[in-house]
Formats: sequence, structure tokens, C-alpha cells
Amino acid sequence: MPYSPLMNPAVARRRRAAHAGAPAGLLLLLALAVTPLALAVPPVAPATAPPASTAGVPPADATTPPAASAGTPAADAAENPDTRGLDTEVQGLKKDAVDLNKDLFILEEELLFPANTQVAVFLSMDVGNFFALDSVQLRIDDKEVINYLYTPREVQALLKGGVQRLYLGNLKVGRHELVAYFNGQGPNDRPYKRGATIRFEKGVGAKYLELKIDDRQQKLQPEFVIKDWE
Amino acid sequence: MVCAVVLALAQAPYALIGRAAPDFTLRAAAGANVRLGEHRGEVVVLSFWSGGCGACRPQLAALDRSLATYASAGLAVFGIGVDDDPIRAREFAQHQRVSFPMLLDPQKSVGRAFEVDNLPMTVLIDRSGTVRYVLRDFSASSNEIYFRQLRALLNE
Repeated sequence: MPYSPLMNPAVARRRRAAHAGAPAGLLLLLALAVTPLALAVPPVAPATAPPASTAGVPPADATTPPAASAGTPAADAAENPDTRGLDTEVQGLKKDAVDLNKDLFILEEELLFPANTQVAVFLSMDVGNFFALDSVQLRIDDKEVINYLYTPREVQALLKGGVQRLYLGNLKVGRHELVAYFNGQGPNDRPYKRGATIRFEKGVGAKYLELKIDDRQQKLQPEFVIKDWE
Repeated sequence: MVCAVVLALAQAPYALIGRAAPDFTLRAAAGANVRLGEHRGEVVVLSFWSGGCGACRPQLAALDRSLATYASAGLAVFGIGVDDDPIRAREFAQHQRVSFPMLLDPQKSVGRAFEVDNLPMTVLIDRSGTVRYVLRDFSASSNEIYFRQLRALLNE
């Protein structure tokens, strides 16, 4: 049976050993003795009889203990290059899978949200001394499109400079209105709810809007701004 | 008749077993919001409860004891209230002396996603985020089963 890069390394090693010479045959016997999986492998000839594949090779010295030859550094060194090769193949396969997943994701987005109707809303935060974000509700043309709850980890990520894509959808060309409601804790840890509105013109290309939460130091209050990325 | 219905519910197959647990974010009765996806790598136990459910109280207490024992092994427990009335649910949650977050799902979106058909209902999720076991009642025998399943997941 041919080797497959997806094969269990232990099984592959045993199969390689089965095709190799006398020391490898001994390795196989050792593996059979210690591995429960080895029960699935067809029985081999006893150790006293030379294996069929070693017909042209002189038999191993009977006085040599099998463990000595199996555990030698030379034997390990002989195995390592194969393992490294297998690891490289596995890493390559993983990278291919990730690349394929990325391509599929992009393709899916292009199909579901074509550039001529696409609208994306991003959210970013700065400082956050006067406002602890709890949730954001978005309404486009008086229709709720998302109500997002934030966990402390997500808020921390935003405060560290992260920008979140809050909403991705489709809108037809023309004038639209976006209203964002921000819920959280304001100054003095009091419940705080504010809204921000923007009227925008959706053209032929994709539309990007950014909700920005900032601190207004002069008023000691948070500030909520919606920016239109032209 | 009632016993037959309960037995049928307990034995009905649960469609989510072996599937990825639906992700959610819920508000807690006290404390920060909780997102299930942030607990990947931990064994997560979700217990669905309601203020009008008699068996939910001892079940939540039993879950709290299991959390005290296995928290250090990577166990996270969340109670999810599916009451219509958020005030009533909040009161119930505050009266339970449990150390895990009691989440509120008044719109029942999470309850629907987890196909809750009986209360109390406990869902066990493994470290990779896959639903593994479900318990649809609470009794001494089901508690034993719960601990056995929990230990199996923690040992994986």
C-alpha cells in the first residue's frame, strides 16, 4: 500500500519498516510488541526466521540483542529525515487548507455582498475613560439590522486599537439614514445611552461608515461620531 | 401519562450532539456579558432554567458544587434563564447563591438555537466547542450521569 501524507505517522513508520531490511524488521517487531494498534497489522514471521524481503541480506548476528540495534542513534537518524519530510508535508497541507478557506471566504463575500450594493459599518474606540461600552444597536432606514453585545475582552480589544466590522449588508443606490444607539456606563458609572445619526448617499461603489467613540476631555463626556469614508 | 411524556422527552434524540455549539452573547443578571466562543478550550456546561421550574433550583445548586470541584480543571458553567419576564428572571437569578454567571435570554434566541424542549436542561460542550451530551431532567441518577460525562470531557 502506498504511503499517504495523511497517514498516521506511527502506521507509516511501521509500513516503511516492513519494507526495509533486517534492522528495520526488528524495529517492526518492537513496535508490534508495544503498540496496541499493531494488532491490526498482519502477523509476520518469527524473529528467528529471516523476513522474506531480506533474502539477499545476511541474517543478523544471533548474539546481538535486538534492542541494541533498534535504539542506536544511527537508527534514529535514519528515521528523522522521514519524519521531518512528513511534518513539512503536513504543514504544507495545512497552509493549503487555510489559503483555500480564505479564497472561499472572499468569494462568498463577493457573491453575497457585491461591491455595487455593499455597505459596511465599522466601530472603533479611543481612550474610553468616560464610557464603558455594553452594546450597540444599528438601524438603517428605521429597520434594526444588528444589536451587538460586547464582552469585556472585546472592549479591551477595541481600546487597544482594534476596529470591528459591526455590520455588512446590501443597500440600493440612493439616500439612506443610519442611526446608532450606544449603551453602556458613562461618567460616574451611570447607565448611559446615546444615539448618533448620519444621512448618506449610497452610490454605485461600496459604502464604508465608521462609528467612532471618543472622549471629549473638555466636557468630560464621551463623544459619538459617525464618519463616512468617501 | 405525564411520566410517559417525560420519559419520551428524556429519550428523544438531541439533534445538536456532535455539532458545533451555536455561539451567542448574553447579558448576565449581574456582571459582564458572556460570549460562548470566548470559552473555547474549556468544558462548558449550559443549564437552561426558568423561575417557575421547581427542579431548576436543586439542579443549579448541584452545578455550583461541580464547578467548585472542577473549576481548576477547566470547567465553565453558565445558567441561562429563558423566562419571558426579565425582571422575574433577574430576581430568580439573584436569589440563587451560585458562583457562576446567570445569563438572561428573554427573547429565547439561545433557547431556540439549543432546541430547549424541557426544563431544566443541561448541555455539555467539550473543549473544542462541540455539543457532546444533554440531560433533560434533574434527579439523583441524572446527576450521577452528569458527573460521569463531565469527568469524561475534562479528561479528554
